[in-house]
Amino acid sequence: MNSVSEKRVLVIAGLIIGAIAGFLVLAGNPANMGFCIACFIRDTVGGLGLHRAGVVQYIRPEIIGLILGAYVLSMIRGKHESKGGSAPITRFILGFFVMIGCLMFLGCPTRMILRIGGGDWNALFGLGGFAAGVGVGTFFLKKGYALQRSYVISKLESSLMPIGQIALLILLVAAPAFIFFSQKGPGSMHAPWLLSLVAGLVVGGLAQFSRMCTVGGFRDLFLFKQSPLLLGYIAILIGVFAVNISFGNFHPGFEGQPIAHTDGLWNFLGMGLAGFGSVLLGGCPLRQLIMTGEGSSDAAVAVLGLAAGAAFAHNFGLAASGTGPTANGQIAVAIGFVVAFIIAIVNTKRASA
Amino acid sequence: MKYIATFYSHFGAMRFKKEPPQGVHNVVLMPVPRDLSTSCGTSAVFEADCGFTFSNDPQGEIDQIVKVLGCGYEVVYDSNFLR
Repeated sequence: MNSVSEKRVLVIAGLIIGAIAGFLVLAGNPANMGFCIACFIRDTVGGLGLHRAGVVQYIRPEIIGLILGAYVLSMIRGKHESKGGSAPITRFILGFFVMIGCLMFLGCPTRMILRIGGGDWNALFGLGGFAAGVGVGTFFLKKGYALQRSYVISKLESSLMPIGQIALLILLVAAPAFIFFSQKGPGSMHAPWLLSLVAGLVVGGLAQFSRMCTVGGFRDLFLFKQSPLLLGYIAILIGVFAVNISFGNFHPGFEGQPIAHTDGLWNFLGMGLAGFGSVLLGGCPLRQLIMTGEGSSDAAVAVLGLAAGAAFAHNFGLAASGTGPTANGQIAVAIGFVVAFIIAIVNTKRASA
Repeated sequence: MKYIATFYSHFGAMRFKKEPPQGVHNVVLMPVPRDLSTSCGTSAVFEADCGFTFSNDPQGEIDQIVKVLGCGYEVVYDSNFLR
């Protein structure tokens, strides 16, 4: 495939993903949250009772669909590669703090662009922080940052996370008493589960096929002065903007935006941490889900780190809310930067040795 | 003849560019072509003789090397087949 068709695939995939995100809001998802990897993992963790924030508890079928969509398509295309064993604890910790950064901003890089597409200008501070965070991570890449290489693992090992998604789907549909469902707040707002699942499967397949990665877009721009991946990111913005403007869901401004706060500094820093950590991980939260489906147990460990971060964020009051960040959350983001810098420096020295 | 190498890390690609194997010329780093790998990492495009072979990667950083053909790629080196 030449670079022109590669760009075309990314643009088409981005437009479809953006449009699907817009339609999921019309079908019941929270505003500007057709897709949000961080929020949906947080909701799923809450649905399992691993945190007790009653307003954000729901096993999100979109996450299940994303992993399974990537899994099935990668199998069909012969692109499923069972690999793992690269610095699992480091990846878990990075995933943990990427989630802390996302929940300070109130969204992952995907929701960031969806928020901008809905007119939430607070997300522009997040975009600036995200680009800056990716820039810092890219600096360490240029200096020689690398985690240990991955190795071939068994098909069973790489299939465990996708199989786990089927278990989650059964829990969602069966709804046993020990699974939590929010009665109010963002967790109570969702599209019909089958529609969400299908949307997740389609977007998972598109992201697998197009190799969509929000972090990769900026990273490649900084590294190579060229970035087809960034076209996909821009296309998501255009796709969701088109749906929002068509159905009256575009509300430009800073104040009163849904599931967002107006603290520009902490929006910047939250996404900065998410961008920095994601570069060190080798991909954004969406990409970690897709790589999990493609057979990477390294990415699966990062997803587990994201889940653990979400549970801690809501059990210890680290997550921001519509009223703004918490002091605990600000400390956690600061700690996250320190940890990310230590991981970056230590692994840069090792690679240079 | 044009070849593309993919790596386990960006650092491996940088080292390949800085210390290219014998017979490798004009190394340029770029994003991995999508049809070559599903990863979103770094690859190295380089020129070498059409009979270029590669088997010794003491650092274990190279994932694969392919020869660019008009209609696709021909695998010259694949680290996974060596295990």
